Amino acid sequence: MISLAPQLCRMDTLLYLLVYPQRPLLTTRTIELVGYDKLGAGQNATVAVMSYSGYDIEDAIVMNKASLDRGFGRCIVMKKSSAMCQNYGNGIMDRIIRPPRTGRQAERMQILDDDGLASPGETIRPNDIYINKQSPSVKLSGGSSAGLPDSAYKPSIQTFKGSKGETAVVDRVALTSDDELNIRFKFIMRQVRRPEVGDKFSSRHGQKGVCGTIISQEDFPFSERGICPDLIMNPHGFPSRMTIGKMIELLGGKAGVSCGRFHYGSAFGEPSGHADKVEDISETLVKNGFSYSGKDIIYSGITGCPLQAYIFMGPIYYQKLKHMVLDKMHARARGPRVQLTRQPTEGRSRDGGLRLGEMERDCLIAYGASMLLFERLMLSSDPFEVQVCRVCGLLGYYNHKLKTRVCSTCKNGDNISTMKLPYACKLLFQELQSMNVVPRLKLAEA
Amino acid sequence: MEGGVATNQRFPKIKIREIKDDYLKFELRETDASMANALRRVMIAEVPTIAIDLVEIEVNSSVLNDEFISHRLGLIPLTSDRAMGMRFSRDCDACDGDGQCEHCSVEFHLDVRCDQDQTLDVTSADLMSTDPSVLPVDVAAKSNSSAYDASENRGIIIVKLRRGQELRLRAIARKGIGKDHAKWSPAATVTFMYEPEIRINEEMMESLSIDEKRSWIESSPTKVFDIDPNTQQVVVTDPEAYTYDEEVIKKAEAMGKPGLVEIEAKEDSFIFTVESTGAIKASKLVVNAIEVLKQKLDAVRLSDDTVEADDQFGELGVHMRGG
Repeated sequence: MISLAPQLCRMDTLLYLLVYPQRPLLTTRTIELVGYDKLGAGQNATVAVMSYSGYDIEDAIVMNKASLDRGFGRCIVMKKSSAMCQNYGNGIMDRIIRPPRTGRQAERMQILDDDGLASPGETIRPNDIYINKQSPSVKLSGGSSAGLPDSAYKPSIQTFKGSKGETAVVDRVALTSDDELNIRFKFIMRQVRRPEVGDKFSSRHGQKGVCGTIISQEDFPFSERGICPDLIMNPHGFPSRMTIGKMIELLGGKAGVSCGRFHYGSAFGEPSGHADKVEDISETLVKNGFSYSGKDIIYSGITGCPLQAYIFMGPIYYQKLKHMVLDKMHARARGPRVQLTRQPTEGRSRDGGLRLGEMERDCLIAYGASMLLFERLMLSSDPFEVQVCRVCGLLGYYNHKLKTRVCSTCKNGDNISTMKLPYACKLLFQELQSMNVVPRLKLAEA
Repeated sequence: MEGGVATNQRFPKIKIREIKDDYLKFELRETDASMANALRRVMIAEVPTIAIDLVEIEVNSSVLNDEFISHRLGLIPLTSDRAMGMRFSRDCDACDGDGQCEHCSVEFHLDVRCDQDQTLDVTSADLMSTDPSVLPVDVAAKSNSSAYDASENRGIIIVKLRRGQELRLRAIARKGIGKDHAKWSPAATVTFMYEPEIRINEEMMESLSIDEKRSWIESSPTKVFDIDPNTQQVVVTDPEAYTYDEEVIKKAEAMGKPGLVEIEAKEDSFIFTVESTGAIKASKLVVNAIEVLKQKLDAVRLSDDTVEADDQFGELGVHMRGG
């Protein structure tokens, strides 16, 4: 048995743990030699290979709500946040101070202990402060930090980042120091997550898929023995992938649970005679009252009528992958922009916009949706008002003091028009000018 | 029925086969799949029980985190004979939902500290209930029957503690239904099957040799048929063991004797198997399910909508209100 203890003592940047790991029902000799069966990386889910509700197309899986309630696929996510209390030499250091219990910041500092650090066991919400740190504003002046007045410090608090409504618990706090006497504070934030629509799961055959929908147990199909699957997988996953191993795993797993012995699924029955061949597995199944093929008669949970086809059903070892929607979902209306181009930022971490790319643009052009294009590519991105000289075709400017428009090349404001163009376009013109290329705008009546 | 409308009202019959505290097998006849399935669905999802829903952890120095322990506590089945009469805490007007109210909640306390060198199991037996009628099922079973082997039952383990570790918490159990969370589902297994009707073509069967008969019988994965030792005839020993796998039919065809046996599912007979988690007795589970089903039908029948929609429903509306 591999002990879990070190994982709970270490301060890992990111750690995913399964709440109820299981040993696979069907292993191979290699898996045993490597000790992978002792790692507990997944759970033996009863899988029905059938189509259900349409939310299982394109490798999606349908999950049983009751199974999730009982702990299937539940995982613990531990994330580290750290902060440094820096030593600037000369006895000047960052300081951690007792949080104010009243005032503007008090609410965000609720979880802080009197030592100015988040205390273990507290629930932390996005934008909560987990360390009440202050840095000296002048870092080079002599004297000791004890001698510095409070006014010499400015706050450099750190806040917990996450999307709205995503709470975590402070699991552990550790303090370490290095040679330069910098103190590092490490906080482990813990979250327990139950699977939700969009979380990714995989069997051990590379058959990965996201959870397409979660359906309550009473709507799930059931067999006359009372077996109700944990998971429904679409049969279209098989023909092109040719994952025969998965089918053998299902059979072997089913035989395993019905006769009470872990089975081996090594390929081709392996010369040493160690593995269980499909024929032997089928025999075990028949002995225990199942069909030799691993298929069962299943009743629809919605109507109570038996389904037309026999359903291939049995346990398959499923692993929860670390790609979870909670870490990925993102949407934005207004938000931050890049300073250089004034266009919306990119990426979830910067609360970025969703790009209407070249191919999407091509579609809109082909469709002739010019107003939509105009809106997407300029109005919603980086609109900018410029003054253009009709004579020289270069950009002028608006003099706010004199409230006049001026062309700096012609030295007058007689022939200036105002128009809108993307800021990126204006930027391009100016960059070209800096390279001694002169772009001139020729305006026509709109 | 007034107006001379033919009614499709039927009078389903129930015959109990086997009854134990947590197991029930019965036949439901003279009704159809919709009724049988409605009963099954209600048993799984809508019969109320009591389960721990709110946990306030005071001290937890165990290896498992608070959420982990809370989840485990929630899944412990509690004896819920009171549940049908209790109120849901969301529509309890005697309290503001803090769980201090006898109408809608039961409080539990747990206070365990390990002071020895061996690991200490914290089990459901350590949960102290404020209401003697609401207990973890294994504790209740231990106190009820003298024949119960106490040594075999170690209780439902919540967490294990080593020296110096402590767990102290307050938990509030509430009434709920399986639709909201599986912890409130009183059903471990609820399933039914259609009763099969097996007709052997005796004439054709007699044309088989004894070895052929034997191999035909063996083709069924479940033991449905047997050979009478006296008459050497094939007899149906257990029709219900048949799983509609059609193996025997395929075998008969392979033997060149199609039509050797005809098997049909009786459309109006169901054999139910009900296993309870122990929260309520299996028999009570069925009775409560019927009660819940009746309440649901009443809600439809008595709602203003159905009276208003009389024009729309016509005869049906009157019928629904028992007219």
